[in-house]
Amino acid sequence: MKLATTAKRAARRFASSLPALFGVLIFTFLLMRVLPGDPAVFFASGPNAGKEEIETIRKQMGLDKPVPQQLALYLYDVGRGNLGRSLMTGQNVTKDLKERLPASLELTFSALLIALVLALPLGILAALRPGSLIDHGVRLFCALGVCIPTFVSGLLLIYVFYYLLGVAPDPTGRVDIFISQPPSRTGFLLIDFLLAGDLDGWWAAFKQLILPACTMALFVIAPLARITRASMLASLGSDFVRTARSVGLSWWRIVVTYALRNAILPVITIAGIVFSTMLGANVLVEKVFSWPGVASYALDALLSSDYAPVQGFVLLMAFVFVIVNLVVDVLYGIADPRISIG
Amino acid sequence: MRLTYSKQMLGAAAVLALLVAAGPVRAQTRAETLRYVTGASVNTLDPNIPGSTREAFAVSLSTYDRLVSFGRKQLNGKWVFDLDSIRGELAESYDVSPDGLKITFHLRKDAKFQDGTPVTADDVKWSLDRAVTAKILGKAQLLTGSLTDASQFKVIDAATFEVTLPKPDKLALPNLATVYPIIINSKLAKAHVTEEDPWAQAWLKENTAGSGAYIIETFKPGEQVILKRNDAWNRGPGGKQAFFKRLIVQSVPEAATRANLVEKGDVDIVIDLQASDAQSLEAKGKLQVISTPQYNAITFVSMNNQMAPFDKVDVRRAIAYALPYDDMFKAALFGRGAPLTSATWSDGKPPSGAFPIPQPIKLDLDKAKAYLKAAGYPDGFSTTFSFNVGQAATAEPMAALLKESLAKIGIKIDIQKLPDAQMSTQITEKKLPFFTEGVVAWLPSTDYFYRNFYTGDQRWNYSSINNPELTAIAQEARFEADKVKYEADGKLLNAIHFDQMPQIPLWQPSQDAVMASSIEGYTYQFHRQVDYRDLSRK
Repeated sequence: MKLATTAKRAARRFASSLPALFGVLIFTFLLMRVLPGDPAVFFASGPNAGKEEIETIRKQMGLDKPVPQQLALYLYDVGRGNLGRSLMTGQNVTKDLKERLPASLELTFSALLIALVLALPLGILAALRPGSLIDHGVRLFCALGVCIPTFVSGLLLIYVFYYLLGVAPDPTGRVDIFISQPPSRTGFLLIDFLLAGDLDGWWAAFKQLILPACTMALFVIAPLARITRASMLASLGSDFVRTARSVGLSWWRIVVTYALRNAILPVITIAGIVFSTMLGANVLVEKVFSWPGVASYALDALLSSDYAPVQGFVLLMAFVFVIVNLVVDVLYGIADPRISIG
Repeated sequence: MRLTYSKQMLGAAAVLALLVAAGPVRAQTRAETLRYVTGASVNTLDPNIPGSTREAFAVSLSTYDRLVSFGRKQLNGKWVFDLDSIRGELAESYDVSPDGLKITFHLRKDAKFQDGTPVTADDVKWSLDRAVTAKILGKAQLLTGSLTDASQFKVIDAATFEVTLPKPDKLALPNLATVYPIIINSKLAKAHVTEEDPWAQAWLKENTAGSGAYIIETFKPGEQVILKRNDAWNRGPGGKQAFFKRLIVQSVPEAATRANLVEKGDVDIVIDLQASDAQSLEAKGKLQVISTPQYNAITFVSMNNQMAPFDKVDVRRAIAYALPYDDMFKAALFGRGAPLTSATWSDGKPPSGAFPIPQPIKLDLDKAKAYLKAAGYPDGFSTTFSFNVGQAATAEPMAALLKESLAKIGIKIDIQKLPDAQMSTQITEKKLPFFTEGVVAWLPSTDYFYRNFYTGDQRWNYSSINNPELTAIAQEARFEADKVKYEADGKLLNAIHFDQMPQIPLWQPSQDAVMASSIEGYTYQFHRQVDYRDLSRK
């Protein structure tokens, strides 16, 4: 019963976000065309490319038509699930994104997991002993994590673990190039290798994943740990915790069952935002580790004014954001039954 | 519970044992594999598709054969391609008729496509027809060798093929050795022809139908291409097959990572490192660094000759004497390349008809000020100087030095860093007054440079120069068969260039090929990529 209402509400929430998605679609479309930079000129860059080639590409991209007509055609295509063709990779954008999104998701999920596993205890510890050495230590760690740009920490990790120590595999993509890929079922290599029963492969993919995931995690530990600390402080100081203490409940019960459960809501919110941001903004990590993800794909497309991939990417990100928000709302309901989404 | 645990341990031990056993086997295949990484990516298997990257060109050289290919020669102790020596690839031999109007190719009788069907003159005809007819990149290239129409190509018999030229054009044969005129298995390609796509462009973009040295195993656009050797291929110099059994071409966007990879020995060869990395790897001495000035490429400081104040020749001359060439060369390229300035022309005349040749210009602020005064700008002026983001590593330090130096003669520079697509758009629309860009000519002859980079209202005429005399001489030189007269024409063109100073040739940057010490045979090629077929391991 409860599940059904949650699902119904989630569906209603999703439907209500459709106009926003549509707005994003149109906005990106127009934005790409306003930006200076003509993709046809850029791609007609052979040593002898002349006017004729530029015209050919323009026609091929449909840029010879007036903008409203281009928009109508684009909307029609998107409606049929066709996001257009990328000149950069020569593939359909839908296909490119479908291949690259799991790579980005796998990396982002792992990074978020590492970040949460580290940030929650750190935040709780800091909140339990505010002003102590631990608290200051956590603060310093967070400050360091957030102020070192990801490409610096990424290059640093590569330098130490790959170049100096030689324990990490070469930072080129998702799995050692000499290892054969598992049949693609989910697109998540860690899962696909398990499904194929290939433990060697799983280990190779894991080793490849761990450095970029840590790089990203370092960057987002700070907001997660800080928000955990702040909201734990608030709930530890509240009446119900004082009451729980006075009736002599165990320390563990007070901290985890009462304080943490009440403090977790803001953490979920931030985690949701952090996740969406990481997915789009991990472009530097993807570049440094040659990770074939969606963000580096979109950046390359943007630099070469390749319209279709950029539009597709922004639409995808908007979509992911909507989904993440839905998930966050549902998690709210689980964490605190008083809250209902609607 | 216990049992499953021990089972797991057993499993892990088995895996470990397997790993140990597999070690030497893998190491052996590693030696037979060439792994190449690049910051760019392969985006199509047919080099003719508009938008093809240079990496795609390199792959196509290994998957397709052409009728002919360039030989190689040594230049200052380094192997480079030789425009003047053309050997047969799919053609066993060729004859040029005495009047230079007919080239007859005798095809190899043993040549087969990768699917096993023999290569015939019909395939050659279809492929070259496609190159000059379809809306593809080959068309504009072959035009420069007077190859424009399908009626010029004739099948004599299954193994003989004839090309007819309207005029004896010395670039016709070299053009057939360039990247575009690939010989395609026409039966296979025709099976994928559609009404809107009569030349199977869509299919050939993702599939190969060639006779080349390597066969595509996996192709992930933007990520990697893995190829395996075509053991039947014997079109290498001396009838040899390619050395490496496997070829991995992988995209690694971060230059520092590429440097780490090659230094650790995980990668065999890389050609697009930052100059500073190449220099430090060379200093460490563990790897081979073959640094070849790109003798068919030039980096310019360009001025828009149609736009004030650069429409005044004295302004252009003033700029030419106001740049700190030596400092720029050191800061931008770490001295890795061949400078094209600071020469002395003994009698003030160009010493050679080749292009490019070092110009007799150097930093001389008094001279620059005098020219500026003569141009009517004694107090200087303000303008912008643009470069594209993709070249920031070299262009940024260079632009800073240029700005500093020009400030001394009163010219205020606002540095503009543009995304690549914006930069190319603005250059094509002739909107930039002052910028730096580079050019490359696949077939570097003097007239080719002047015709493509100094005439016409097109993108590559960076300086937008419109000099009727220069245009006329360049066009005439194209068909000049007499070497002495050609040299004289070249000297004339060089003299006009120096007098008008439409743009300033700065240098020819080096291509730093950094490779494991076991790699042999690297040759600098006209397309500025690695031809994987050249390489072998000691």
